[in-house]
Amino acid sequence: MSTEKEPIVHIQEHSKDRVKFILENVDLALANSVRRVMMADIPTVAIDMVEIESNTTVLPDEFIAHRLGQIPLVSANCDEGLRYTRDCNCMNGCKFCTVILSLQVSCSEEGKTMMVTSNQLEVIPQQDLYDDGAEEMSKRPENFGQPVGKDDAAAEPILICKMRKGMELKARCIAKKGIAKEHAKWSPCSAVGFEYDPHNRLRHTTYWFEDDVKSEWPLSENAQLEEPVKEDEEFDYNAKPNKFYMDVETDGSLGPQEVVLKGLQELQTKLANLILGLKAEPEADTTAHGEAGFGQAEAAPPGWAVPAGAAGATGGGWGQNQALTNGTGGGGAWGSTSPRAGGSGGGAWGGAASHTRYWWRMGCWC
Amino acid sequence: MAQEDFDVPMDTQEQEQDVDLEKIKLLPNASDDGTSASFQVIDEDHTLGNALRYIIMKNPEVEFCGYSIPHPSENKLNIRIQTYGNITAVEALHQGLDNLSELCVTIEGNFREQLEKVGTNI
Repeated sequence: MSTEKEPIVHIQEHSKDRVKFILENVDLALANSVRRVMMADIPTVAIDMVEIESNTTVLPDEFIAHRLGQIPLVSANCDEGLRYTRDCNCMNGCKFCTVILSLQVSCSEEGKTMMVTSNQLEVIPQQDLYDDGAEEMSKRPENFGQPVGKDDAAAEPILICKMRKGMELKARCIAKKGIAKEHAKWSPCSAVGFEYDPHNRLRHTTYWFEDDVKSEWPLSENAQLEEPVKEDEEFDYNAKPNKFYMDVETDGSLGPQEVVLKGLQELQTKLANLILGLKAEPEADTTAHGEAGFGQAEAAPPGWAVPAGAAGATGGGWGQNQALTNGTGGGGAWGSTSPRAGGSGGGAWGGAASHTRYWWRMGCWC
Repeated sequence: MAQEDFDVPMDTQEQEQDVDLEKIKLLPNASDDGTSASFQVIDEDHTLGNALRYIIMKNPEVEFCGYSIPHPSENKLNIRIQTYGNITAVEALHQGLDNLSELCVTIEGNFREQLEKVGTNI
């Protein structure tokens, strides 16, 4: 550390939904951690459960639930203003851990196609069924939980579905706090640009080419900020990347500067948790090896029973009129409990309110 | 009803504490003098693992540090640390965590500074 140069941050561009900056004098591992943490570990609010009261549009319930889930909601100061439902003391959702939005649209106009958009989603203030006097509410901005761009006339709203005369869509949406590791809809970033070594001096990549690499692979604009590789330059196999060009673009749920700062804070929280865990570890020092280590190893498996039990409980929710819908790739884990029952259950309920919860996970289970 | 509600937080708090205790554990292959050891961290991934590996490896007292995620569908992260003998593996891990935290603070500070310079021209 001591011989290292101090990390440098240089912001090139900064706008409402984007910040472009150069991170210098850090290692690839750290720059990548920053990127990963910004994409997947920052909490935001997103619709997680949809109770559909009536839906006579051409789109099926789960289709609409899926679309609603992906609408970005204003999540400024979400880590202080909202709790995770799993950490909340309430029984079944309260104003401290959920935001309720309602969508009530019907079309009565003849011969015209009507658009149902995110602008028709209204945040419903929640009654104080549960109130432990916490101060979360005061930490929220006024438009907390509202669809992004609702109060901005210039912003085009997000289309949810289209309807003709006689069609109706009534739904109650329960938005919760979550992170993108669970579902990509909770990611505050729409894209994170991450580039280093634009001239490929370090040869971390090999370009495929037809005849000539240089003419076939246009250089990125960041290449102007670095010396091109000379013809006779010797390859330095010890060289390490040092300058990282990052471009954070958000979906509007959080500001870009907020994403970067929250990301770095989140990384520190991870470290702090580990330090805490390390302190809690009884006699982790030199004496703890062999048996002590084993004892703890055996203590671990029961911990796994908890998530399994939770999954079972959700499966049980079936009886209570809950439709759990598995999205693409979600399959594996929920397997036995839900998907097929989901199809028939939804049908059987007919007019009754069906609760559609949509799960879709990043990546695959392979 | 209110009383029942009140009972819930105590339980959850206890559970959270339990989870925290199992955040990291020593794997059963540490050397007798504690200069080399492996740890297993629960619920962490490459985000923490790679950066931590790098910063621990940077420590001149550390001979080797590596990490692995033994199975992609288990949320476990293994870290192996071997030192030259002047510090224990646990100390090296502590120093690594502190250094990385410090580094994050520095970057955060620099970013804030830059933000002020650029100004919020939104």
